[in-house]
Amino acid sequence: MGERIFRFGQRQVSETDLVRWVVILSLTSCCILISAITFLHAIPYINYQLFFIPIIYAAYFYPRQGIYVAAGAGVVYQAVGYFYTYPNPAAMLGVTAEAVFFIITAIIIAYFINKIRSGEALYRTVFEHSQLGIILFTREGFAITETNDKFAAMLNFSPQEILSKKLTGLFFIEREKERFLERIEKFPEVSDFETRLSTSGGEACWVNLSWNRVDELTVSCTAVNINARKLAEKLNNDNMMKYRQLTENSPTSILIVQKEKIIYANPTFTEFSGYRSVEVIGRELTGFIDPGDLHKFSEFIGRWADRRPVTAQAEFRFLRKDSGVRVALLFSSPIIHAGNPATMINLLDISEKLRLEEKIRMDNERRRGIIITVAHELRTPLQPILGYLNLLISDPEGFSIVDETKKILERCLVSVDRERQIINQMLELSVLESGKLQVSLSKFPLEPLVKGLLDTSGYLDKADITVSIPPTIVMTADRERIQNVFDSLMSNAINYSKPPRKIDITYRVGADDGFHHISIQDNGIGIPPESIENIFEPFQLADASKLSRKYDRIGLSLSIAKKVAQMHGGDITVQSMVNSGSTFTLHLPKEVSPDA
Amino acid sequence: MHKILLVEDDQQILDMMEILLRKIGYEPVLVPDVLEALDRVRNSPPDLVLLDIMMTPINGWEFLLKVRGEYHMSDLPILLFTASPEAEDKVAQLNDPRTGILQKPVSIPELKAGLERFLPGAPR
Repeated sequence: MGERIFRFGQRQVSETDLVRWVVILSLTSCCILISAITFLHAIPYINYQLFFIPIIYAAYFYPRQGIYVAAGAGVVYQAVGYFYTYPNPAAMLGVTAEAVFFIITAIIIAYFINKIRSGEALYRTVFEHSQLGIILFTREGFAITETNDKFAAMLNFSPQEILSKKLTGLFFIEREKERFLERIEKFPEVSDFETRLSTSGGEACWVNLSWNRVDELTVSCTAVNINARKLAEKLNNDNMMKYRQLTENSPTSILIVQKEKIIYANPTFTEFSGYRSVEVIGRELTGFIDPGDLHKFSEFIGRWADRRPVTAQAEFRFLRKDSGVRVALLFSSPIIHAGNPATMINLLDISEKLRLEEKIRMDNERRRGIIITVAHELRTPLQPILGYLNLLISDPEGFSIVDETKKILERCLVSVDRERQIINQMLELSVLESGKLQVSLSKFPLEPLVKGLLDTSGYLDKADITVSIPPTIVMTADRERIQNVFDSLMSNAINYSKPPRKIDITYRVGADDGFHHISIQDNGIGIPPESIENIFEPFQLADASKLSRKYDRIGLSLSIAKKVAQMHGGDITVQSMVNSGSTFTLHLPKEVSPDA
Repeated sequence: MHKILLVEDDQQILDMMEILLRKIGYEPVLVPDVLEALDRVRNSPPDLVLLDIMMTPINGWEFLLKVRGEYHMSDLPILLFTASPEAEDKVAQLNDPRTGILQKPVSIPELKAGLERFLPGAPR
């Protein structure tokens, strides 16, 4: 509560002090007046005791100043007494004794007052500066009569606001209020009553209340803010719940192994192993490993002993209770469990995956077998056709063939040749896809390869081709296959564009990613975005239905080209815009390892 | 005129190749039966053997092995004449300069080139 302050020059005086001074001065004046009157009426013996009243009053409020005043008054009284009693020694002694008694009385009063005051101040300090919230409330009605700032701040109120409230009105939850009423009715002293009170913002604040009865009417109560602790507890609980749910519902098996014994296994592991949970706990993990993999496994767990925070993974065969074999990928990571080092193991059952992979491999193998047989069967009957056509065309006179017939035969030859080419591409792709083929690497300068291709292929007659490849570029690759790749890309660029064709072959200079990048840009029809993913798939053509007839190509060469690039550890990528052209870029590593 | 032994069980191809080989200046000897062909190779060796692979009772590879191994004819040029796509790799693995391959179907220029590789100074 604020107090008005008055200023007297340098000094500041509070309202209370001012009132006290006025009272002291008034009392003193009264005493002087009474003394004067009694003195005039010659009753000299009672007057000095009157001065005890202002002096004691002053000493009560200002103990030290009170003593000074009392001492001063005593001296004055003595001086005046001497003046009147001189030279009567007995009377003088009496006056001295009275003055001393007067001063001693003041000192005693001041002493006790001081004592009481400082005790009170101590409690006040404790009350006001306590880190606990402290309130006093009435036993009947629960009106809050005293609060410290801490308690008010805890609930985000000002102390005045708190003082206008009832404690019962502060409870956040009705049920907890009833519990509180029950407790306070039964027990005079309660500690560690945890509950939620409402803040001024209407939120809950967790507090720990302890109270005891001060007297029949008043209860004192301390409150500790335990919001942070409760929040942490809640979070912790949530986390525990989360982790528990994670492990229990994890689709992968989770184990905790300590000192080589399994101390925890989640339900997925029991399902995976076929053993019940009780049969798993306490056993060594080694007991679940297929004997054939035991050696490898003991090497693997040997690494756990290092206690280095290394996560390891490896594949192992596990023996189920029903003697079935499952394959699992095992991840281990060091953890601390119950204060001791342990290993957490995640098991990913990959049996099904392996089975499918094997099936896919077999299917691919079979498919390749079919392709090879079919190709063989298709190629053999072509031999007589091709041979006879060659024969007839090579000697028209000998076979009495007129020019017109020769033209027809030549067209037949073109078709036979194309068929042969398609079958050969099918075969090549199937061999490339099998991954059995090795690239035969050699070092060669790039520019002559491209220029040589252009010179012999006849592409220069069909398009305006620019080549900007620095003559210093030397590649390490399978020369023949790379030449075929360029051939495919060039022929693709020409086939999917209309005159006037313009093709730019550019080497990207200054690439520092360890790759050669050569792009072939055309001004052709482009590839629609929805097809761009598919153009490297076998027999896929951008907008196949419309284009295949018009441009008359079977889309195998791009698939082959991409596969060849990938065999080198590189790739072919494409960027395209419909009606303005496509750019195919060949990326080949500068350093190719022989087994790439 | 170089004598070329053609071992091939497909009559159509046999007929066609006879004309073709004659046309480009070789003397074809046609043997549809592979065992008979083995006898021919032993008794009157040709200048070159054009050898199909898919035959019975022994296939082209076995024929090749017998000729090279049992008959000690390591110098006899043998050109495998096949539509089988895996033959090319196998021949490359043999690493034998006297064994080559012609992929069916073969055009006249390819046939010529293939033969001239083993029979230099070709006719005409």
